[in-house]
Amino acid sequence: MTLQCEDVLDRLVEGVTGSVPPGDRAAVVAHLATCPRCRGEAAAVENTAARLREAGRFVTPPGFWPDFMRQLDARLEAEPQRVLIRFRRWLASPRHALGTAAVTVLASLAIFMAVRFAPPRPMPPDPVDTQVRGLVTETMTITLPSLGDILETWRAGLSQEVDQVPGRTGP
Amino acid sequence: MDTEDHRLLEAFRRGEESAFSALVIKYREGVYRIARRMLGNHEDAADVTQEVFIRVHRALVRFDGRSQLYTWLYRITVNLCLDARSRNSRYPMLHDDELLSERAAGPGSEGEAEGRETHRLVARSVAALPPRQRAMVALRVYQDLPYQEIARIMGCSEGTVKATMFAALRKLRRALEEEGVRAP
Repeated sequence: MTLQCEDVLDRLVEGVTGSVPPGDRAAVVAHLATCPRCRGEAAAVENTAARLREAGRFVTPPGFWPDFMRQLDARLEAEPQRVLIRFRRWLASPRHALGTAAVTVLASLAIFMAVRFAPPRPMPPDPVDTQVRGLVTETMTITLPSLGDILETWRAGLSQEVDQVPGRTGP
Repeated sequence: MDTEDHRLLEAFRRGEESAFSALVIKYREGVYRIARRMLGNHEDAADVTQEVFIRVHRALVRFDGRSQLYTWLYRITVNLCLDARSRNSRYPMLHDDELLSERAAGPGSEGEAEGRETHRLVARSVAALPPRQRAMVALRVYQDLPYQEIARIMGCSEGTVKATMFAALRKLRRALEEEGVRAP
């Protein structure tokens, strides 16, 4: 068997079980005209394929397909993640995907702007500062220009006292 | 992808369940024929056909459309049939007695009886092929798919499909000769 014969038999199998392009078919026919061995092989392959095709028709029981569709619908209805699937389908649709992307970008931008440019929240009053301010009168503030330094000193001292109070973890 | 399939897929993604029903109606016979040829009996083939469409319904939204829809569908079918065969490998495959009894239902002549016997022998010879060979024969001979699509479905090269088809036809030819089946 020559290499050409093997190639022709390959194409022959392809031809008898389905279809081959017209150009290839012409080449196979030309080879078969000159090669008795391939002609015998071709007849056997064609015969087998014809037998297979003949036996390939199936008959389904009467009413099978309507029952099949009913059962399939019932099974699809019973699918537990049906809502999730529908939502994913909705999202995956190109039209909805574009809208979803736009809404997501806008929402992200709005959250970013709100966090970035929000006015600063008022700080809670410092308990030590409040304590010190309770001891300072208006007269003291007017008459003593260096009161700021003094206040700092008092504040540092009071912080240490507060630290020593049991149950307090910090100022 | 086929224009009609593309249109149905888009409709399904928009939430139209009727589009999925249309796809089922379009492909159910092909899926069933492959399953029945691979599994050899109506009940198993019907179960696998249901399972195929359930899985397709779950995954259709993620189908990227790079291949034909039927390539994907038939790949699921073949894989489910191979799984079913390996699960039931302890039991011998049935030889489609239902098909034979349906054919036997009509008024019988000598020629018809001979035809039935031939069909039985062909079905038995196909059933004796290894599962992957049987799948390729079903896809090629009964679904008329090109080698390229069969290779995609089976996850192998076109060369492998050609070689397997050649080997399968040889085996079938020998089996039919041994059974004394004459040319049609």
